[in-house]
Amino acid sequence: MSRFFHGSDSSSDSSSEEEELYGEEAAANKAEDSSSEDDSDAEDDDDDSSSDEEGGKSGANRFLREVSDESDESDEEKVTVVKSAKDKRFDELEGTIRLIENAQKISDWTAINEQYDRMNRQLPTLQRALDGKAPKMYIKTVAELETQVMEAFEKQKVTPKKMNPIAQKGMNALRQKIRKNNKEYHDDVEAFRKDSEEFMKEDVVEDTAPAPKKPKKKLLDNDNTLEGDDDGFTMVGAGGKAMIYTAESILKHLKSIVESRGRKNTDRLEQIRIMERLFDVAITDYQRVRVSLTLIATRFDLTSGTGSQMAQEQWKLAQQEIGQLLSILESNPEMVVIEGAEEWEDDDKLPTMTAGEIFKIPGSVVSFVERLDDELTRVLQHIDPHTAEYVERLQDEGSLYTNIVRSMLYAERLKANTKLEASQDNINRVVMRRLEHVYFKPAQVVTILEENTWKVIPSELDSKITPRSQGTEVTKIVQTLAGYLFQNAGGIILSRAMLCQIYHLALHDHYYQARDMMLMSHLQETVQNFDVNTQILFNRTLTQVGLCAFRAGLVYECQTALQDICGSQRQKELLAQGLQIQRYSQITPEQERLERQRQLPFHMHINLELLECVYLTCSMLLEIPTLAQAGSSPDLKKRVISKSYRRMLEYHERQIFTGPPENTRDHVMQASKALAAGEWKKSAEFITSIKIWDLLPGSAEIKQMLESQIQEEGLRTYLFTYAPFYDTLSVSNLAGMFDLPESKVTALISKMIHHEELAAALDQVNSAIIFRKGVELSRLQSLALTMSDKAQGLIESNERVLEQRTAGTNNAFERQGGRGGRGGRGGRGRGDGRGRGAFGGRGGGRGGAFTGGALGNAISAQ
Amino acid sequence: MADAQPPSAGDMTNGASTNDHTTTEASKEYNLLPHLIPNLDRHLVFPLLNFQEEETPEDEDTTDITQLKYSLLKQTNMSDFVGDLYAQLNNLSERPQEYAQKREEVLAKREQYEQETEKLQNLLGDADVVGNLRSDKESNMKYLTENHGVTREMVEQLYEFGQFQYSCGDYHSAAELLYQYRILSTDNDRVNAATWGKLASDILTTNWESAMEEVVKLKDAIDSRLFNNTLAQLQHRTWLIHWSLFPFFNHEPAREALTEMFFSQPYINTIQTSCPWILRYLTAAVVTNRNRPGSKNNFFYNNYQKQLKDLVRIVRQEQYEYNDPVTAFVKALYVDFDFEEAQKRLSEADEILRSDFFLVATADSFLDAARHLISESYCKIHQRIDIKDLSKRLGLSDDEGEKWIVNLIRDTRVDAKIDYKAGTVIMNHPPMSVYQQVIERTKGGFFRTQVLSAAKRTVGFAAAPGALKGFRREGAEGAGGKASGGGRKVWAERRTEQKEESVWAGWGA
Repeated sequence: MSRFFHGSDSSSDSSSEEEELYGEEAAANKAEDSSSEDDSDAEDDDDDSSSDEEGGKSGANRFLREVSDESDESDEEKVTVVKSAKDKRFDELEGTIRLIENAQKISDWTAINEQYDRMNRQLPTLQRALDGKAPKMYIKTVAELETQVMEAFEKQKVTPKKMNPIAQKGMNALRQKIRKNNKEYHDDVEAFRKDSEEFMKEDVVEDTAPAPKKPKKKLLDNDNTLEGDDDGFTMVGAGGKAMIYTAESILKHLKSIVESRGRKNTDRLEQIRIMERLFDVAITDYQRVRVSLTLIATRFDLTSGTGSQMAQEQWKLAQQEIGQLLSILESNPEMVVIEGAEEWEDDDKLPTMTAGEIFKIPGSVVSFVERLDDELTRVLQHIDPHTAEYVERLQDEGSLYTNIVRSMLYAERLKANTKLEASQDNINRVVMRRLEHVYFKPAQVVTILEENTWKVIPSELDSKITPRSQGTEVTKIVQTLAGYLFQNAGGIILSRAMLCQIYHLALHDHYYQARDMMLMSHLQETVQNFDVNTQILFNRTLTQVGLCAFRAGLVYECQTALQDICGSQRQKELLAQGLQIQRYSQITPEQERLERQRQLPFHMHINLELLECVYLTCSMLLEIPTLAQAGSSPDLKKRVISKSYRRMLEYHERQIFTGPPENTRDHVMQASKALAAGEWKKSAEFITSIKIWDLLPGSAEIKQMLESQIQEEGLRTYLFTYAPFYDTLSVSNLAGMFDLPESKVTALISKMIHHEELAAALDQVNSAIIFRKGVELSRLQSLALTMSDKAQGLIESNERVLEQRTAGTNNAFERQGGRGGRGGRGGRGRGDGRGRGAFGGRGGGRGGAFTGGALGNAISAQ
Repeated sequence: MADAQPPSAGDMTNGASTNDHTTTEASKEYNLLPHLIPNLDRHLVFPLLNFQEEETPEDEDTTDITQLKYSLLKQTNMSDFVGDLYAQLNNLSERPQEYAQKREEVLAKREQYEQETEKLQNLLGDADVVGNLRSDKESNMKYLTENHGVTREMVEQLYEFGQFQYSCGDYHSAAELLYQYRILSTDNDRVNAATWGKLASDILTTNWESAMEEVVKLKDAIDSRLFNNTLAQLQHRTWLIHWSLFPFFNHEPAREALTEMFFSQPYINTIQTSCPWILRYLTAAVVTNRNRPGSKNNFFYNNYQKQLKDLVRIVRQEQYEYNDPVTAFVKALYVDFDFEEAQKRLSEADEILRSDFFLVATADSFLDAARHLISESYCKIHQRIDIKDLSKRLGLSDDEGEKWIVNLIRDTRVDAKIDYKAGTVIMNHPPMSVYQQVIERTKGGFFRTQVLSAAKRTVGFAAAPGALKGFRREGAEGAGGKASGGGRKVWAERRTEQKEESVWAGWGA
């Protein structure tokens, strides 16, 4: 690049001289013909730069067409690359500078302004290559620009002739930018001003300094030779130098590899091969640890792109290497890999390890394991879950779990050593990972997983958090892991741990515990502030709690818990189990990509069809009696328990011809119809013939439970629907109709009468229901009742407002208002509105409390 | 859920759970003593144990209870009594020497304390001095220091002495001393401790009036002092609930206030979270409240209904955590409407009440009130009732049953007639007239609005915009109710309100 520089240097010098000679007018003339060129250039540049911004990281080096093309290809074919990435960037910078100079000649301030911005954009990458220093030619350009702007500005002040307003604007903007920007490089600029030639010379020397690295890279290119000789460890590089991998040179090699990390053109596979070799050669454990640390990191670098996933073999190797690394570390208690340790400066000689002292190596085992876990998840996201490949990859989870547990042990060990001051955070992270691998699995699976894991782990290792002696009982493991996090973690990990435990409890049919924890955690209030993944976990947990309630036969609780997830028609999205295809979606590709990343792998899914089936069945059991009840009084019509269910029901009723049910939804809808008509047997038949129940554990009991629920609700529906047509009804008759014991029927009817749902009374002697007549209200009457209710509510709320305002200072009001107000408040006033809620009790209150905060946010946060 | 067992008297529970010997199987099964003991002070536990001892039939061994008492009081200064217990345990004829020795020590110590606090006590006994005291503690202290040479240490001595007296079992003087201490001390933590001590002393001296004052004080202190430490709040509330059981069932006027307190949101949450067994007492209290004078009054009746409704809700919710015949009775009657079951539970509940220290006095009125409840809802549901059957359900003989019904008809507003020949009661349930309903609902409206506007005027102009805003909001809500979407939203709002109210203080970990 230095050769280019000298050329441009002289030309710019001469051009500035020219400028002085010709003066302003000549320059203006010139501007006429060259401006068109410049403009088109500028336009091109704009296009490029805008596309660069979208493209993300690789943006800066796309400036020159041919180069950018090359760089795109270069990912695949390294052989064709001629220039190094750094050189390319310098070329770009140079190009920009040349454009600036051209524009300077014609005083096209707008163009200069644009180019100046672009130059500043290119700067950071170059600075990184030069260890934080700005390139010399940049300094030069900046310094010159400053001078020129100042001159032009002064001139502008003196001369009466007005400048072109656009140019004026450009200049002013540029002047301000320069003034701001140059402060940063003040020293360099000063140095340049003082002695520009000396300054530039230095640059040349410095630039050649990194050059020797290049041949080394080239040397590594020819893998053929490498493959060939295994025993001699000698090979001849392209530069003619012999490459010898010996124990002594390991660190040196490593260093060169580390330095090339993150650059373009490095052949990572090649580096991996070298490092594998280095690992074999390594003598001391220190060397091995160092090599593995770099090697694992490089393996992960192979798939740094967002779209790609790690190949299975690479993943497996990485997994093994982490295992290796851990076993080395386990056998060497004096050596620890810890974050924030000092780097060993001198790579030429081995560090001296004094016995008894702990030697620290920078790195993080936990992060590796986390990454390994992430990679596997990513792979699983992309494989079709119904193929053998998925199962195959899923089997890797066992070894991954072992790694997680081992690194947990390791982190514990570090933490136990007080001298090291290892952060608690690491243990928390790895414990969380472990919990996340366990919480959603059925007991048997976890038991096997745990057993296998502990078999692999050397027997002398034991965990304090989950000791071996504790056994492999899953509930206990989840409890201890979560308990550990409750004590030691905070913030999001704590919440996640809580959710995991709730999920686990719900999965194992501990409904009340799960519900109490869910409510006591108060997560529903704060979950909006969490990241989307946690919100998804919250949704999953909520769903699982709902399913648990269903298995326990708690229809109402189940319905309320599932309401938000299932009622929204966006189950897939809310549970991260697939992308919802939205017709009028405004989702950008970026959002879609993010959403894809969030998807859960298939084995974690909650069966959506089952979920829908449960939800609809529960809605049916609640809605059909309500609908029947609402038939008589218009007030209750507004009470909709499940909107989506109602919609489906309406749709189903509109159909002219209904064939035999095909899918779950049809089954439930036809069952609803039968139930509404009082044919509970038919309804139960429809419901129980749904195949998906078999997926639930203990499906026979669940079917039985559903049947009895249908009987009861059928009776209620029947009474609501047909009460107006009867004077009396015999209890035994009803019992026969609904196949229920008489006492049960009596209890149900008593309940309805007591809650004033049914205008009737029982005749104990004849055991019959006697319906009262004349309780039907006319529309006017019921409206009057509603209005009086509303009026009462209005007064009460006004009183409350005033009470708040006065905060009890107004005694006269307190006494009088309070008495009337309080009496009525808890009683009739609200009781009507709540109906079921009042007696649904905490189930209702709590169920209501579930209102998924995550819902809206899971989407809006995207 | 009860993982937050307070440590107050926990050390003596060891023996308690295994040492229950009460009259019947049922009451044994549902004995709450092991639950109660950890939440009470050791001095407060003593009456409970005494009661248990009395309940134990003659032929059964009471050594366990004596042992329990011994370990309970070992720590206290009541050396005479402890010595007796020890002798009783080990079949000695008289107290061992060490107790006599201890007794001497205690007496000596007491002497010393008395001397130390004599001056201050005299001062506080002096009407002139007391007359000069103001509500400001600091200035009081200053006044006493300047004029009478009282030091802070002397004030602290009062506390120590009070504690000592309490430990000796001299609760009267303990209460007095702690009261004096509280007047003077500025150390908030200790004042709080003194309040607890005072409450215990008042309870043990059956000075219910001042005990109730202390309860209120403590309640406020818990709310204000511990507001940011939910776990401690929970614990203190649990204690307070347990301690206030004493005035609850022994002091008639306290019951209303305490029932209200127990039903208030923080306390009901505490009960649900850490001590669901209190539900038994709450149930008993609510049910028996029916018989209270003035309960015929409409306001009280409404309140009673409301409490009953709340109670049913909570009992139902906590069913999975706590269940005994008393709560099961409520559940059978109001959740399942199973009258037979209710009857069965009632007889069990009766036994339990009779073997419970707190409830033994209310057992009869509970039975009476429970019968009322049964017949009330039975009559509400039925139109024609067989008297024999009803009597059976109420656990009465036929004649008694008839009498019962006649009384019921006379006392309450039930519209019923007895058909003597058929042996039935015919209930007449006239449907509530719509006009009547509308009138009922709008009855107080005008008056209340007037009060409201009068109050608004006195509050002044500043309050007006707020009140107006309330109006508008309410109007909007009313309108929103019409559209189904809006209605749903209001519904959700209410539910969230309800949710927010349930502050689960317990979850502090």
